[in-house]
Amino acid sequence: MTWNCVTDRGNSPDTIVIGLGNLLLSDDGVGIQVIRYLRQILRRASNDHADIVLEEDHRGGLRLMERLIGYRRAIIVDAIQTASCPAGTVRRLGVGQLATAHSCCSHDADLQDALDFGRKAGAPLPRNSEIDLIAVEAADCHTFCEELTPPVAGAVALAAAEVLKLLPPCQIET
Amino acid sequence: MRRISIDPITRLEGHGKIEIFLDDNGAVANAFLQIPELRGFERFCVGRLAEDMPNLTSRVCGVCPEAHHMASSKALDALFQVEPTPVAKKLRELFYSIFFATDHTTHFYALGGPDFVIGPNGPKEKRNILGVIDAVGPEVAGKVLKMRRDGHHLIKMIGGRAVHPNWGLPGGVSCGISETQRKEIESLGRDAIEFAKFSLGVFNDLVLGNTDYVDLIKNDAFIHQTHNMGTVDENNHVNFYEGKIRVVDVEGNEVVKYECRDYLDHVAEHVEEWSYLKFPYLKKFGWKGFVDGNDSGVYKATPLSRLNAADGMATPLAQEEYERLYKTLGGKPVHHTLATHWARLVELLYAAEHWVELATDPEITGQDFRAIPCKTPQEGVGSVEAPRGTLTHHYASDERGVLTRVNLIVGTTNNNAAMHMSVKKAAQSLIKPDGVITEGLLNTVEMAFRAYDPCMGCATHTLPGQMPLQLVIRGADGKVLETLEQFLD
Repeated sequence: MTWNCVTDRGNSPDTIVIGLGNLLLSDDGVGIQVIRYLRQILRRASNDHADIVLEEDHRGGLRLMERLIGYRRAIIVDAIQTASCPAGTVRRLGVGQLATAHSCCSHDADLQDALDFGRKAGAPLPRNSEIDLIAVEAADCHTFCEELTPPVAGAVALAAAEVLKLLPPCQIET
Repeated sequence: MRRISIDPITRLEGHGKIEIFLDDNGAVANAFLQIPELRGFERFCVGRLAEDMPNLTSRVCGVCPEAHHMASSKALDALFQVEPTPVAKKLRELFYSIFFATDHTTHFYALGGPDFVIGPNGPKEKRNILGVIDAVGPEVAGKVLKMRRDGHHLIKMIGGRAVHPNWGLPGGVSCGISETQRKEIESLGRDAIEFAKFSLGVFNDLVLGNTDYVDLIKNDAFIHQTHNMGTVDENNHVNFYEGKIRVVDVEGNEVVKYECRDYLDHVAEHVEEWSYLKFPYLKKFGWKGFVDGNDSGVYKATPLSRLNAADGMATPLAQEEYERLYKTLGGKPVHHTLATHWARLVELLYAAEHWVELATDPEITGQDFRAIPCKTPQEGVGSVEAPRGTLTHHYASDERGVLTRVNLIVGTTNNNAAMHMSVKKAAQSLIKPDGVITEGLLNTVEMAFRAYDPCMGCATHTLPGQMPLQLVIRGADGKVLETLEQFLD
């Protein structure tokens, strides 16, 4: 099987940063908001980031795994609700640690099972050690609302900074 | 009285909870499939521009945004009183066939498959897609992954976005396809036909070749004789995108066939205080409670229901499988809930065949893919067959196209009463007085509703997160006697 036959990324993928969530469910969409914030930042970067792809999606499990195919490195940004820390807290997690809001899809598989499935299929996926989840503690993921709650809105820049720490250094024009 | 809770239910989207009440002898006195989440998306949409709806409603559901996108686009056609061009209709149906094939693939291998391939009493750590792959061979993983990736790739190519399509417009779609794209769509469609045939072979070998599973399918615990609903074309063949909605009775006789815009003349919704999800029923018969039979208003709208409500399939290979299904299970209609998995594979084959039919239609690359609406919007209803049942969108707006009323009846909602009945009957049949309640037994009860591929998040319009399973057994005094858990972190 030719795994790049349906890729839309060209032939030099290295790192995918993917935000998960639903923009209509308040803090549920924080992953996507972080990606949009990062787009603005990287547009102002003076050095080349052509091998970093910023993507948005809404679903974990098999679909998320499929989005990671062909990349060496993956960073997933998502909401999480543990109620164990204040809303807006940003944490870096590995695969198999706490499930974030969307990394597991209850309609098919959690992320680890999905990755195992992909690897059994021979898909070129990043190693688990090359996958990071940036989780933002959410206050409200159930109210139909297009705005983040204030503490989570305030965490967008923090989460973006956490992602940037994991990327090659970039020089941002201010 | 003892009380058993299965909360939340596994392998379905959204939050669900099963409560089983045992009497003093340990027999099942009653069972409820509860949806303890509030529906609210329709209200959220009121006051918005109608043309935003295909993009908004595709976010209702984390599983089948394409179905909502398509039903919404059709509702806008009606609202703006514009007839899509023939090219637009074919493009929409092509897009929708690809989506259907992709979605049904996921259900069979990730959701329904574990119940049959691993078995209801198999080790719980194996009852998932990895267990299925271990059982049927690693080469299957590659086939499943290719099918899904091809589908998602084409959905993005045609629909504009991988996440949520932004393509449907009143009167058509925002762009067509090139000849180069058409060739790729056709090529991958031919692969999809082979994949569908392969999947039916897997079902044939692993399920129909196993007398235990065939007995399970035919077990009275999983049989419900209700009305069946599905969309049919002018030949009364199954159609996912367009046609009339046909309802047949327990014997398969046509009860009614109507345009989707008339759905309120035929369907009403019953409310129970213990669930946020309503219970649609046929108005002609009224709400008689959770009972089978021709006098009951309860109906099902599942893949099996679509086959029961139709006279056949519109493509040759799917028609062969349709005939084989009914021949094997003793004639039409079939009321065996677990046969829904088989029906889903027949539909997968139909979707793949129709995908290629449309991809090879000489008109499909035409550039006349949108009719411009020029009438004042008023009210419109659009429906499609979603993978989980008939999906209806109903909008009303003011003269500016600002929405004043929104109603959605999704596939899972149609099947709510039948799912409730299936769970109760399975529980009553399988849980014996003073018998040992095993994890495998409870999974078998879960199979009764999993066949419906329910999506509670979609039906109630919320999107919760991970859903572990917890079983709580309570004594007559309400104290917890035993707790069983699975899929908990």
